[in-house]
Amino acid sequence: MPGRDPHSGAAVRIRKAIALVNSVADEAGDEEITPTEIAEAIRDCLELTDVDSVPNVRRYLGEALDAVSDGMPADFVAMTLYAALGALREGSPD
Amino acid sequence: MPPPHRVHELPGGARLVVESMPERQSTSVVLMFGAGSRLEDDRLAGVSHFIEHLYFKGTKRRPSSKEIADAIEGVGGFINASTDKELTAYWARVPSEHMELGLDVLFDIIANSKLDPADIERERMVILDELRMYQDQPQDLVQNLFEELIWPGHPLGRDIAGTEESVSRLTRDDILEYADAHYRLPNLVIGAAGMLDENATLAVVRNRLSLRADPDGALAVAPPTPLESPRVLVRRRETEQAHICLGVRAFSYMHPDRYALDLLNTVLGEGMSSRLFLSIRERLALAYDVHSFTQKHRDTGYLGVYIGVDPKKAVDAVNAAMVELRGLSESEVLPDELARAKEFTKGRLRLELETTNGVAFWLTYQELLLGEIKTIDEELDLVEAVTAEDIKRIAREVLSGPMQMSVIGPFARDSAFRLAVGA
Repeated sequence: MPGRDPHSGAAVRIRKAIALVNSVADEAGDEEITPTEIAEAIRDCLELTDVDSVPNVRRYLGEALDAVSDGMPADFVAMTLYAALGALREGSPD
Repeated sequence: MPPPHRVHELPGGARLVVESMPERQSTSVVLMFGAGSRLEDDRLAGVSHFIEHLYFKGTKRRPSSKEIADAIEGVGGFINASTDKELTAYWARVPSEHMELGLDVLFDIIANSKLDPADIERERMVILDELRMYQDQPQDLVQNLFEELIWPGHPLGRDIAGTEESVSRLTRDDILEYADAHYRLPNLVIGAAGMLDENATLAVVRNRLSLRADPDGALAVAPPTPLESPRVLVRRRETEQAHICLGVRAFSYMHPDRYALDLLNTVLGEGMSSRLFLSIRERLALAYDVHSFTQKHRDTGYLGVYIGVDPKKAVDAVNAAMVELRGLSESEVLPDELARAKEFTKGRLRLELETTNGVAFWLTYQELLLGEIKTIDEELDLVEAVTAEDIKRIAREVLSGPMQMSVIGPFARDSAFRLAVGA
């Protein structure tokens, strides 16, 4: 039986936040996505306790939230979220 | 068995290294001076490289660059030169019967160049264009920025070609003064390899030693000061791809563990079976181009990683590279990885030494910088003697140093990069 990834909940939420940010970066969506919605998606990630079980995941998410607050480009926010996702991946069992 | 090369001490303190390769059609000759950009202060930054360009502009006997090129190309040969941080080399590869011509042209340009003021101005424009061109090539620029971080405030951290400011200001007197100080016989090693007669080569060289024989009065160059902490330098450019160089100070070419470092580098990031390539490109699909490299000097060196990546994946790729670096100091490389790295390193060295040019450079470089010459078999034995334990030991030593990272890309700030390398 394959092992369960203890960080999958956080990974799913970070991926959702990345998808949201990417749709802004790519100007793909029909609806306009606001920075508030992106910030909300990142806060959803921060609410999960497993973001604390791997070093730096919470800090990257915090950086991403700051970047949204500071009006940084969507690509930059996406980069920081990818870093959080990557850190989570490195902290997961093989 | 005697080594295949011979070293001759020459009048004035120059040395000649010769290796006969009787089965070849060509002979390569190299004039290598222990003069490169690390000997330059900020005012003279780029002068070694400037001189190397100017020496192809004309001599009293061959008044233009065309006549210099024609002399060698007219017999089917090649002539060129290169400037490095610790040396400058002038070389020619010619059909063997023209060995004397090759040496004659090289000695002519290093001893009798006119340094015409008009040529100096024309070449200054060429070099300034070259420097500006590097600014438009992020893959080169990011490595220059990385070297500024690795050797801050030291000539080793500066572009070999100097800066736009220094090159704009260099005068003919500066150039003459620098050439007079460093282009002297005790600072010169001549290399010759190919189908040649050793005694004839020696006679040709002896007749052309017209440079000054007294040792140069230049002060010894200080080693770079130790690095205190990790640092990140982000240069914002609206590039399609992010270019990243990260790494640590490592060993000099005099260090006994330099062979272990080379094998570590091979395991880490040389070729498509390296750890960085398999992890970052193949498994994680984060970057198109990822590799590692080393640079070694008399008293210092570095181990670096280059990553060319979609800007969105930049920090993720850095983190993945950091995982691979940490892995080298946490566990020993696998036996098959080590065996592959050794075969790769030994194979590359043997291929390098297939040509007369490769052999001439190999001998000359060793004699000038190391003061002794190892044969290829001795070198291969030293590579073979490295163990997995050695690699883990030196990985721990080298990777405990502060990480330095330069980044070029569309990044508004550097905090996420700092976090990735603990800066």
